[in-house]
Amino acid sequence: MMDDFEKQLQAALGRKEPSPFFEARVLGAAKREARDRRASIRMWWASAVAAILIVAAGSAWQHQRSEQAREDAAGRDAKARLEVALRITSVKLQKISQKVEGI
Amino acid sequence: MEGAEPRTFASVLRAQQSMVFSIAYHFLRDRPAAEEVAQDVFLQLHKRFDEFESDAHLSFWLRKVASNRCIDYVRKRKSQAAVALDDAPAPSVDGQPQDHFLNRRLQSLIASLPEKPRMVMILRYQEDMMPEEIASAMDMPVRTVKSHLQRSLAMLREKIDRSMGDVR
Amino acid sequence: MKFAMPVLLGILPLAAQDIKMPANLDRLEAKASEVVNVQLDGALIQLASRFLSDKDPDEAHVKRLVGGLKGIYVKSFEFDERGQYSMSDVEELRAQLRAPLWARIVGASSKKKGENSEVYLKTEAGQITGLAIIVTDPKELTIVSIVGSIRPEDIRDLGGHMGIPKIDFETKKDKKDKEDDK
Repeated sequence: MMDDFEKQLQAALGRKEPSPFFEARVLGAAKREARDRRASIRMWWASAVAAILIVAAGSAWQHQRSEQAREDAAGRDAKARLEVALRITSVKLQKISQKVEGI
Repeated sequence: MEGAEPRTFASVLRAQQSMVFSIAYHFLRDRPAAEEVAQDVFLQLHKRFDEFESDAHLSFWLRKVASNRCIDYVRKRKSQAAVALDDAPAPSVDGQPQDHFLNRRLQSLIASLPEKPRMVMILRYQEDMMPEEIASAMDMPVRTVKSHLQRSLAMLREKIDRSMGDVR
Repeated sequence: MKFAMPVLLGILPLAAQDIKMPANLDRLEAKASEVVNVQLDGALIQLASRFLSDKDPDEAHVKRLVGGLKGIYVKSFEFDERGQYSMSDVEELRAQLRAPLWARIVGASSKKKGENSEVYLKTEAGQITGLAIIVTDPKELTIVSIVGSIRPEDIRDLGGHMGIPKIDFETKKDKKDKEDDK
């Protein structure tokens, strides 16, 4: 049970409305983002390959330094590869879903 | 909303924009910043819209992300979202009924709280969330939530008493 | 779309039959304009998981998803010209996927576009223990093999997280809903 002061707090924190154009702005931004994501698929793959090569090169460098540095680099590399693998797999499965759904 | 029309992003945006905006507004006390944060929250929602299986899950997620984004916003901008009590700006008049001055005073006092207690208070008294829900949304122990509530309430009561007399 | 898990009755559990990427695919690297070759065994997956943050919701989710996996293998080739590979290049792989524990759960093809997509699941004692995907089109060949317990929809639904693109598409129903909302 709330006391009077807490009820006053509730009244003070009543809901407010954003500006009348907020909804249209958000819908427009959402559409633009979706379009940009579609356009960047090839770019994602190319930069992912580059990232793996960079990380792999970094791993070779770290190997000379210390055991911990070597393991850290290997871990980041593995993480990058994992992300690439999941990205490719997810995109492929999404496209297969589209085909099966009959879009 | 169970059994109603299947939800679309646009319908959720329309239904929930007030809730998300209000959390940001009461936290930031800056209308343009609050709209910026609210837009960011909904754009995040748009990316993962298909994941939500229930309205309750979606509402909880919106509150959680709105809270986190508000706190991140303040930290990133390194701006003083909290204002000194005596420098509290006069917010726009929203046509609130009685105790308008008291409401404004309370809003300013809440805005002067540190970030996490401030958000705890907003989720409790704007969104009527229980301490356990707040703990889950803000990823903190329940006892910490309760401690924030207790201390913030005590502080607010004291300051209101001092500045305005007994309002309880 | 749900990827239905086929129910296999009366199948005795056999020793794990992880599929092997055919060695002949390696020669395609010289012809391809873009190549992705990822090979992560269980140890590397565990190592990668340690670098996924528990505090980031997306990374924490991926960490849970890949926690039990024993291997992730991806080979993807993009070619500038058609005809740089043939179906016989993947036939050795398809032959492995005709083993008893494997079942093809999705097959989608377009003769007009020359595209073909297949998803296979391996199940043992009612549990998914493997996932394989083969996607071919005139200028691309992609093969994915995942060893361990994973649902295809869990990976599909990573779209929109961790920088993974979400392919935005509208079903006919969504189009109708939008019309109704106006």
